Amino acid sequence: MNNLSVVGQRIPKLDAAEKATGRSRYIQDVTLPGMLYGKILYSKYAHARIVRIDTSRARKLEGVRAVLTGTDIPEIRMGVYKDNPPLKSGKVRSYRDEVAAVAAVDLKTAEEAIRLIEVTYEALPAVFDPETAMKKEAPLVHEAHKTNVLKMPWKLHYGDVEAARSEAAHIVEDRFSATWVTHCCLGTSGCIADFDHDNHLTVYSNTQIPSLAQKDFLGTLKALGLKDRRARVIKPCIGGGFGSKLDTYAYEHVAILLAFHARKPVKIQFDRKEEFIATSTRQPAIMNIVQGCDENGRLLFRDIRMILDNGAYTSWGATTPSVMMLPISSLYRVPNVRYEALCVYTNNTYAQAMRGYGNPQATFAIESAMDALAAKAGIDPVEFRRINANHGDEVTPQGFRITTCGLAGCIDKVAEALGGGKRKKGEGVGYASLVHVGGGARVYKSDGCGTLMKMNDYGQLDLFTGATDMGQGADTVIAQIVAEELGLHIEDIHVIHSDTDICPWDVGAHASRTTFVAGNSALGAARQLRSQIVKIASRVLDVDPQDIRLNDRMVISRQDPEKKIELGKLLRKSHFSPGGNMLMAEYFYDPDNENLGRDFKGNLSMTYTFGTHGARVRVDEETGKVEILRYVAAHDVGRAINPLLLEGQVYGGVMMGIGYALTEQVQLEKGEIMNPNFRDYKILTAKDTVPIAAPFLETTDAEGPYGAKGIGEPGCVPTAPAIANAIYDAVGVRIKDLPITPERVLAALKKKGGDDTCGIDPLTEKVYDCTS
Amino acid sequence: MKPFTYLTPHTLDEAVSLYESHEGRAAYIAGGTDVLIKIKEEKIEPDYLISLAHIPVSEGVRFNEDTRALHISAFTTHRTLELSPLIRRDYPILHDAVKNIGSVQIRNTATIGGNLANAVPSADGAIPLITMDAVAHIYGTKGERTVDLIHFFLGPGQTVLEKGEILTEIVVPPAPARTGSAYIKFGRRKAMELPLLGVGMLLSLDADMTTCVKVRIGLGVAAPTPIRAYNAERFLKGREVTDATLAEAGQIAADEARVRDSIRGVAWYRRELVGVLVKRMGALCRKRITDEKSIS
Ligand SMILES: Cc1cc2nc3c(=O)[nH]c(=O)nc-3n(C[C@H](O)[C@H](O)[C@H](O)COP(=O)(O)OP(=O)(O)OC[C@H]3O[C@@H](n4cnc5c(N)ncnc54)[C@H](O)[C@@H]3O)c2cc1C
Repeated sequence: MNNLSVVGQRIPKLDAAEKATGRSRYIQDVTLPGMLYGKILYSKYAHARIVRIDTSRARKLEGVRAVLTGTDIPEIRMGVYKDNPPLKSGKVRSYRDEVAAVAAVDLKTAEEAIRLIEVTYEALPAVFDPETAMKKEAPLVHEAHKTNVLKMPWKLHYGDVEAARSEAAHIVEDRFSATWVTHCCLGTSGCIADFDHDNHLTVYSNTQIPSLAQKDFLGTLKALGLKDRRARVIKPCIGGGFGSKLDTYAYEHVAILLAFHARKPVKIQFDRKEEFIATSTRQPAIMNIVQGCDENGRLLFRDIRMILDNGAYTSWGATTPSVMMLPISSLYRVPNVRYEALCVYTNNTYAQAMRGYGNPQATFAIESAMDALAAKAGIDPVEFRRINANHGDEVTPQGFRITTCGLAGCIDKVAEALGGGKRKKGEGVGYASLVHVGGGARVYKSDGCGTLMKMNDYGQLDLFTGATDMGQGADTVIAQIVAEELGLHIEDIHVIHSDTDICPWDVGAHASRTTFVAGNSALGAARQLRSQIVKIASRVLDVDPQDIRLNDRMVISRQDPEKKIELGKLLRKSHFSPGGNMLMAEYFYDPDNENLGRDFKGNLSMTYTFGTHGARVRVDEETGKVEILRYVAAHDVGRAINPLLLEGQVYGGVMMGIGYALTEQVQLEKGEIMNPNFRDYKILTAKDTVPIAAPFLETTDAEGPYGAKGIGEPGCVPTAPAIANAIYDAVGVRIKDLPITPERVLAALKKKGGDDTCGIDPLTEKVYDCTS
Repeated sequence: MKPFTYLTPHTLDEAVSLYESHEGRAAYIAGGTDVLIKIKEEKIEPDYLISLAHIPVSEGVRFNEDTRALHISAFTTHRTLELSPLIRRDYPILHDAVKNIGSVQIRNTATIGGNLANAVPSADGAIPLITMDAVAHIYGTKGERTVDLIHFFLGPGQTVLEKGEILTEIVVPPAPARTGSAYIKFGRRKAMELPLLGVGMLLSLDADMTTCVKVRIGLGVAAPTPIRAYNAERFLKGREVTDATLAEAGQIAADEARVRDSIRGVAWYRRELVGVLVKRMGALCRKRITDEKSIS
């Protein structure tokens, strides 16, 4: 497979020039004739009873076309737990609660109308800390739910942790925490809802889940009494997703409701502040971990308990334990595993999917504790990881079938790149590894993706995929796979992914699955097309089908290279003759992976991506500031379909991970976001980039398209622990709370009994006990 | 955002009289990087924005050979200052500060006058200038007046500027021989960052190259306005400059800083930083004096 001509090439993203020259059309650029502008009024309290809403002044304002409150709309409940109506009535449970909405002829009027709505609240006692919220006397966020603890039993136990614990030679026990961070997509959220005369709905929206969003919107139509109407989802160019668009949001349903009432298309477009306040965060977590090994450093058990701040409503954040289970049960070989996670309602904002989906949080705890355990066992941290590394052809306690596994190779690559050299005072090196799904993930009933293809008379292909390109370059990678299979040039392929009326079903751009699943789907369709071409060519060229090769837009006989024909010519011959035909193909690929069972066992993915990251840091011992001198992120990617885009994914992931490790935090004070802007939310800038090397290992997975595994998320998974471990190596303090701010490092250095720095909150200087 | 009328006077007098005739409903705009944000956030809602960008005064810096004073037009952009070889060579403290303001795009439009008139405690341009004993030249209906820049700031967003007065020029007096100066912005990232703490220092040594004959320590975000650490200055003046005395000066400065908690940082940490960074800036000043000497 090594004489590939398109796969493996460093091809820039197909839409790069369009984007760089400002031609791409984002939701911000879309307007429809007669379109109205919608605006949402949010709660002024973290928890309060809505006593009265007076919308009369807003209704009277000239140019206002619709005003809605929670009592004006039918029963619609969003999210996995169905606890979130798009407009709230009765009470508000967080500052981001949507209380009312308006549609008006222009944005200014809509904003003015929002100001004219008078809401009378009666404040209720609120709860902002999940551990407090679990107490009996804590105020209930949802009274009908009777408790703040969600009925989602994230609980597994494989082997016998207690027995293993009693046999362990070395044990570490610790508490870690990870806070709110957010996606910071450059393109802010927005949508347009448009009904036609027959009440069929079209929604233009930034979404990573066109097919599931369509289903949600059908639900809203049904609630409006429009049961047999159609919902069409059109995606404009999306300026970044990172998981933020894996659920539908209130604003999308509100736009539909407003459009329905106003009988005009309605656009709701977030500004940056709204993006911070009204879209979701990464799931915060309090993580208790106990881990033990035998005398030789072999892991014996891992025992983890977590409490997740669910916020006031439930989206995918609450299901991140399902992915946390992957590193918990299967990062390194660990025979006995126990895990329990509780999601607890509070009056904070609620979390969503975000790149890595729980894996970064869990890996922070696991890999920090791995380092501590290595130190306790007196084994070099790299050696300790080698001893416990996963290998190919093994089944982990959770039933994950590891087929190809380049973990040991990744550890070696990183250790080699960072291990040597003299170390100056205040400098240190740290390592952390990762495992993630790399061959789809059966989290939904289907993990499938469909592809349709049609080829014109000139050998140019239109490819309709269910996949979503939100900037990661899915279109380019799919085009490369198909070009390779059909002997075409990359520019011969036009990937269309933007419209549910045109494109087949796909479960969504999540779980690093697009290259693998959409790639396999496209490959399946391409193979059909190829066999059609071969059939025609064998007739026209009079050669055996086995003998035919497609390359460089030509159809050629292997035996007799003189026998060849230009593809377009062949197609025209076949088309423009009696009984002619056109080349079309369709393929639906649903991987042979398994849903997790009741015991959470099951081979979730067709293959697993592994990697190791390492950081060399310098810690300023007087200010606590951490500088990253060098960063190496090695991954087993199966095959690099496009090394340029692959490196882009890794660089971007690592920078996101560094922000997670060191600077980023959505600061909530009593439920209110204090830093809803880029001045105070410290996403890293271009000037903060560090030297990153992204070597990769190609294990050519049998299931992947041309051997590829997914690599969208791994870049940000083990970044925080690699950096935390490097800080420990440099100055001997272990920071257990993210982000690792200079304040936390300095406070820990000042306390330096070394290890007892748990939970120093730089805002309050409150020190939490870590022994509990 | 409320709409406004944009006025473009061509002389100082015209600007001042426009302000007067729209009193209470007008604001000046130079680069607009502070004022437009305030308008967008609806913190101010002027009906008129009076641009100072069209007044043909000398934008830029000028060194007066007779008085050996540096004249900086208030309308100078940070980028112009950053790229000035004169500033880079002879006023490194100012170069340190302006080269890290916002981003290149911001520095291309934001002015030093706007930075001072906006008067936030974190203004990067203010600290080097108070540290160099700069004097503000102000023009208004009653003519021109001058104020020592250290007395220019009254509180967050408040200055001695009377209604309609325009800051026209900042004049930096000459420094003694064997003077070094330096500024550090301590932040969480490398660009688009307001300082968690800003420390500027100017140090002049005696011919013996150890005794301090003059010292200025300016602190940003250490109080509601840019301040000087007078106690630390008094301590250091006349003393030998050593690592130990610099560290002690740092401690004294930390004690006199009026730092507070905010969402951007906590008081205890800011206080720590004052101590460390004053010490480091002192050492950097000393190094710059020595380097200078070894070049000449
Ligand atoms: C993204 C971003 C990053 C930034 N980063 C930094 C940073 O790192 N450090 C920093 O210190 N600042 C920073 N700032 C703030 C701002 O850029 C500076 O304060 C800048 O110097 C202001 O100058 P301006 O010409 O844009 O002022 P304007 O916005 O035009 O004016 C500011 C205020 O001063 C008044 N004014 C302006 N000129 C005069 C004058 N000559 N006489 C009287 N009144 C006047 C105006 O009426 C207004 O009230 C940043 C701003 C942004 C948007």
